[in-house]
Parts: sequence; C-alpha cells; structure tokens
Amino acid sequence: MAQMWITMGPQHPMTHGLWTLRVKVDGETVVDTDAELGYIHRGVEKICEARDFTQITPYCDRLCYVSAMTWANSYIYAAEDLLEAEVPERAEYIRLIAAELQRLASHLMWLGAFGPDIGNLTLMTWCMRDREMFLDLLQELGGSRMHYNYPRVGGVKRDIPIGFADRMIAKVKLFERRIDEYEMMLDESTIWLVRLQGVGYANAEEMVAAGVSGPNVRAAGVNYDVRWAHPYSVYDEIDWEPSVEKPTSVKGADCYDRYRVRMEEMRQSCRMVLDAIEKIPGGKNSNYSKGDEMIFKKAPLRAPEGATGFSNYECTRGASQFYIKGGGEGRGKSPYRLSIRSPMFITIPFVAKTMIGYKVADIPAIMGSFDPCIGETDR
Amino acid sequence: MDDAYDLRGLIFSLVEKVIPPILEGTFLEESTGQITFGLATFAVVNIVFLMLFFSQFAILWIERKAVARMNDRRGATTALRSLWVGENGVTAGEWWNMLPFGLGKPVGAVNKWLNKKFGNRDEKYPTVDRVNNRSWMGYSIFPGFFQNVADGMKFLLKEHMVPQRADKLIFEVSPFLIVSSTLLILGLIPLSSGIYATNPELSILYAIAIFGIAPIGVFFAGWSSNNKYTLIGGIRSAAQLTAYEIPLLLTLLSVAVLSGTFNIVESVHFQHSAGSWNLFLMPLGAGLFLITMIAEVERVPFDMPEAEAELVEGWWTEYGGMRFGMLFMAEYIRTYAACFLFTHFFLGGWHLPFQGLIGSIPIIGDLYLLIPGAIVVLIKAWLVFLLVFVWARFSLARIRTDQILEFGWRILLPLAVFQLILSAIYRLYLFDPSAMSDSTFGGTSWDAFGILFLIPAITTAIWLGIFFLMLNDEDKSGNTERMFHVYTDKAAGTYVPGQE
Repeated sequence: MAQMWITMGPQHPMTHGLWTLRVKVDGETVVDTDAELGYIHRGVEKICEARDFTQITPYCDRLCYVSAMTWANSYIYAAEDLLEAEVPERAEYIRLIAAELQRLASHLMWLGAFGPDIGNLTLMTWCMRDREMFLDLLQELGGSRMHYNYPRVGGVKRDIPIGFADRMIAKVKLFERRIDEYEMMLDESTIWLVRLQGVGYANAEEMVAAGVSGPNVRAAGVNYDVRWAHPYSVYDEIDWEPSVEKPTSVKGADCYDRYRVRMEEMRQSCRMVLDAIEKIPGGKNSNYSKGDEMIFKKAPLRAPEGATGFSNYECTRGASQFYIKGGGEGRGKSPYRLSIRSPMFITIPFVAKTMIGYKVADIPAIMGSFDPCIGETDR
Repeated sequence: MDDAYDLRGLIFSLVEKVIPPILEGTFLEESTGQITFGLATFAVVNIVFLMLFFSQFAILWIERKAVARMNDRRGATTALRSLWVGENGVTAGEWWNMLPFGLGKPVGAVNKWLNKKFGNRDEKYPTVDRVNNRSWMGYSIFPGFFQNVADGMKFLLKEHMVPQRADKLIFEVSPFLIVSSTLLILGLIPLSSGIYATNPELSILYAIAIFGIAPIGVFFAGWSSNNKYTLIGGIRSAAQLTAYEIPLLLTLLSVAVLSGTFNIVESVHFQHSAGSWNLFLMPLGAGLFLITMIAEVERVPFDMPEAEAELVEGWWTEYGGMRFGMLFMAEYIRTYAACFLFTHFFLGGWHLPFQGLIGSIPIIGDLYLLIPGAIVVLIKAWLVFLLVFVWARFSLARIRTDQILEFGWRILLPLAVFQLILSAIYRLYLFDPSAMSDSTFGGTSWDAFGILFLIPAITTAIWLGIFFLMLNDEDKSGNTERMFHVYTDKAAGTYVPGQE
C-alpha cells in the first residue's frame, strides 16, 4: 500500500503546544516520524544575560506555563549556588510545599489533557476542577494563578498567609479521595486499559541513554528521582518515597505504566505537603512579614567573575538543570551566561521515534503519556 | 393494544368529511378517494415529522444538561443524584423554593431532607466549599433549550467554503446524500399506533436499508475533500460501518424471528400481545443492538472516524457553515432514530410498564391508560439516549480502529448468530401462540408451568448472572503492588530496582 506523510501540527489537537510531528503512515500504521521543534523559541537564555538575578525569576516562570513554580525554583537554586546565598529553613519548606502543589496542578493538567487524547472528555473537566483548588492555593502565595514570581534569591517573596495551612490540608485531603475517584473511572474501564496497555513501549536503557528523565523513566523501573538521588532543599527531611513502577514487560514501560506512575506521584506529593506543613519551622499558623529573617536572607547581588552555579532539580516532567556563570564587575548585576537543560527537549524527539510501528490512533496516547510541554522545550 | 389517541384516524376521518362535498360535481369527483388520501397523508406526515424533528431538540438539551452535571467544573461527580439532591451548603432544595407563589415548596422540602440525609456535606472540610459547592443556583435549566436553535442559526450565517483541490461535485453532493437518507429514517418511526407517518409492511428492512446509505456518503465526503485526515476518517468509517452492519442486521433478524414480523408497529403489538417486552427475552440482543447502534452513529466509544485527537474532525474536517450543521444534525437524528428503534424493538414501544396489572385497577387503571402513547415512547427514547448514549460518551474512552474491528468481527458477530439461534429456539419451543391476547392485560405466551413471566424472568436472571460473572472486578490493591516501595529510612539514592 502506498505510504504518505501526514503533517500533524503546528496547530493540531495532539501536539499540546506548538510543534510539528510529521508522520509517515502505511495505512493506519506509523512507519516513520519526524519531530520539528522551535516554533516558540523566545531566546530566554539570551534575555537573561541582560537582567539581574531577581529579574530573571519571572522569565523562568514563563519557561513552562503549566509548571511555573518548579521552574522558578530550579533557577533560584542555581542562582543561590552561584551567589553562595543562605536560605532560611522555613523558606525551604515553603518552597517545597509550593513546588509540590505545583506538581499536583501540573499532573492534573497532564491528566486532563491526556483524557481527551484517549477520548474521555469528562476527565478533562474533572481535572480542571481539582486543579483549581491548587491554583487557588498558589495564588495565595504568589498573588497570581499562572506565573507566580514567588521564590527569591535567599528566600521567598512572602510568607504563607494565616489560614493557608488549614485550607491546604483540607484541599489536599479532599484531593486524595478524588484520586481514588479518578482511578474508579479509569482503571476499571476496560477500554482505558486496552488503549494504554501494550502501547508505546519505551525501554529503560534507551531512555537513559537518550537522557529522558522524570516520571517517564521511573515508569520503566529506573529509580532516578533527583529529589531522592540528590536531595536538595529539605526533601531528605520529610516523609515520602519516589514512585517507581515495576516494569511489566521486557520491552519497557507502556502508556499505562506512565499513567500509573504519575497517579502515584500525585499521591506522594499529597503526602509530602501534608508532612511538610506539620514540620515547618516557625509554625504553620504564623505569618512572618515580608523580608523577615525567617523567610528571607539577603544575598549578594553581583556574582564574582568565573564563579558558576548549577542546579539539578526535579521538575514535573523530569530533571531540569540550570547552569549560570557570573560575569564579575564587567557584567554588573547580570550573569555572563545562563543555560537551561529542559527535559522535554530531549524527550519529544525520543518519543517521536517510539511511535514507529504503532497505529495512527496511538499517536495521541503515546505523546500524551509523556506529558509534553512546549514552553520549556523551545524556551 | 392500540394507543388511545389515534391522530391518524382522526385526520383521515376529518379529511374524508370535508373533501368529498367540495369535490362533488367538479371534474375531480372521480378521483375523490385518491385526493382525500393524498391530503390526509400529507397532513399526517408533516405533523409526525415535525413532532419528531422538534422533539429532537430535547435530546440535544438532555445531553447538554446531563453532561453539564456529569463533568461539572464545580463538582457533581455523582451526577444523577446531584440533580435532585444538591450538595454542600446551597442545595437543590433552595432552587425549588425560589419558584413563585411557593409552588416548589413541597419539592424543596423533600430535597432539603434528602440533602440533609445523603448530601455530601462534610464537616471535616469546611474550607473547600468553593470547589465543592454543587447546586442548581446559577444554572439555566429551561432557558438553555433554545441554545440549539441559536447554534443552528449561527451556522446559516457562516461562509460555505470548498477546498480548492476538492472534487467539487461529490463534495457538495455527499452531505445531502447523508442528510436526506437520514431524514428518511424519521419517516417510518411510529410515535404510537395512531401517530406515524408511514407504515410499510417491511419497515424494519426499510430502516436498515436506509441506515446503509449514509456510509457511502461518508466515504465520498472523506475522499472528495482531498485531505489526508478526511481520507483516513472516511476509510475508517467505511470499515467500521461495514463491520457493525452485519451484527446489527442479525440482531434485528432475531427480533423479527422472535416477533414474527418485519413491521415495527406489529413488533410492538407482538410484545404486548405475547406478554413480555423483548428486552427480557433477549437481553443479549438488546446489548448487541445498543453496541452496534453506537458504532453505527459513530459516538464515543466508537467515534474513531472522527477522532478529534489525531484526525482533527475526521471525515467532516473540511465542511463548514450549514454543511457542517446539517451533518451534525444528521448524526443526532441517527442517534435519535436508534433510540426510537431500541424503544420499539426491546422496550415495548408505547406500552406502559405493567400496563395489564395497573390497568386492571378500577379508576387508577383507566387514568393510567389515558397517558398518551406518544409521550411514553418519547420518554423511553430520551431515557435510552440519556442512560446509554450520553452516559457512555462521557465516561468511556475511545477504542482504537483495529480493536473496534476485532471486537465487531470476532465477538459481536458470533454473539449475534448465537442470539439468532436463541430467538429461533424461543419462538419454536417456548412460545405459545394460543395465549396471545389483544386485551389491556396482554397475553401470556411466554409463561411456563402456569407461572406468570417465568421465561422472561429466567432469561433475564441468567444473562444478568453471566454479566456479573464477567465483570471481573479487579482487586484495587493491585495498583499499589505495581509500584516499587522505597522507604525513607534508606539512604537516599541507594535503592536499585529489582533487588528486593
């Protein structure tokens, strides 16, 4: 049968963003793929060379519009490494809580987009509904629903408001029950299982060799979670465990494994924030004013020449890494160079190749299960 | 038993009274009979067609409202219950209390009590009211009815575009092929024994023959648009409809075998005269009919031909404006027709539940039998639409093309053949023609050993048992067993999967 190329994108429901997947099909079977990225390249790295270290944070928020808090945190750890800033422990706890709430919101966004990919529209509205709870909480912290500009070099912008802890505990506990509700609808549906199981196998060795990280490799049984392997912040002080899926096939992880690992990760995030809010130094019901020593310590504004900062951070889609080089007096308050390693930039071309051999209808299932986000990919 | 309201007879007698005196003495006097028949038929066909067509807005409205509850942004995960109970704080009862002159107070009180009893008010989490607030407040209930009309009007104002390299003639013709063949189905659906447009002898065969025309239009539309997505969608559609047409035909054949007729009205009469709805005699057939019908009308979970995740909008991607509107309408008419056919073949058409038992009570029974058959049919069809088509659409995912075809050919086809054999056995060995009765009570043809409803009850019980055995409810703890457990007492980073 004649083969033909189909161009899916840049505006296509499957892409979850702005990129192009060119697929060569033989009837319904995918025989070749080609991923084209770069539609929303904004030159963030270059912009950051002309901003001071506080001004860079909002740009890093905008790297990923689904998971702004984790990306800003990721940058802040690199900047603190560069500037050798001290961070109060309460600020670390607040950052952890904020990052895990963001992880919940981001995974809900993923599940909500994954449902319509498979054909289940209800899932999207349910996930959007529950994501609202966490966006409300993040709004209490950062004042905004999408791009928070919350962390600062040496602390956080402001303390958790009074009553935040109660509201958060109530919402997270409610959400823990909602996860069961999702699983009731999805895991007990044979259609959901036959669409996901045995589809989109990705081998652990190949993924590690390609540089894929995060939930996508943990789904294949690789216990690599940066929060666990190289604990930054206070991840080694609170009670949690990485969610690692047992591989059911020698071929690696299928879409169902990746779905399960994210559901489990949401549970772990709930566990983490519930534990962290109890262990937070200074008490969960106290509110320190802006700039108080409990939440913020002054850091130097200029980086010495030749100094470098690096952060390895577990974002919602994998390990995000920042590399910053200080420029000394010649660069003023700006860094000499800022470099971003995005997990999805590595994952998407890899995923495009895993689709080969599956059906056209599997393309959204496979792509969606890897949770693409184009903002951070093209940066 | 016939419906109490014979609209067709009324109009025919009216026309027969009015027309002959007018024509008397004119040159048309010889053909008075034909003219009378023609005028009366014209009137009846138009009335019935308009009734069906406008009641179709109801299903769009039902879908809209039910779905709004099912995947409500604010909650209502227990969709059907929350329609009446309301949850957390503001209740549905308060909505009823807002009706003027206290008309809704009794319902409001019941709702309030229900809400107190079963509502989702959780004292432990008082702060999550904003997300948990489930109420009818702020929802438009009946005003939403005409939204569909507004949507239809909007399509009229849109530009009609034809792709530059499309096969223009076929591209223009195929929507009409689909829409016209779909409208023909409505022509033969009876609303009751007295309200129908046409009633050909072989109406079941006719309905199926017409259902089979639209796939050709779909394939033409997909091919002529000259777009890769529509091409794939059209081919998927052709494959799917061909695969599901055969089990559908076999299921209808088994209905025909059981009721001994190829006529829809007759088959409804048979269900009453013989004493049991077909649903209870052939639950397997009913299930097969619903599944194949969902596939025939291309709704979730069988909507691969228009899978919006990968094929944008499938075979109708290139249609815009009123062409799109008509295709959309045709799809809903097919769905609606499927609901009607299910009602007539399996749910006893315009016969009320327990018509014989309740109808025999002196005064209440008479009132019960006064309920118009058309309303009974409509309510049954709407319930089928709500409980099967809408519910399936919004709780299930989409099945892949190869899985759809495999399911059709390997599972549904053998089951349909099996149902055909079962129907023949029922008709030949369990059926008692002498016990057919046209009275209000209906017959007792399916009773065995002198026990009423024994055969339908046993059949239903057996199939329900098989269904529950096959449910195969998996142990939920399997989900946690799928995960490696890495406890925090171990040093970070020391865990290697597979060691435990």
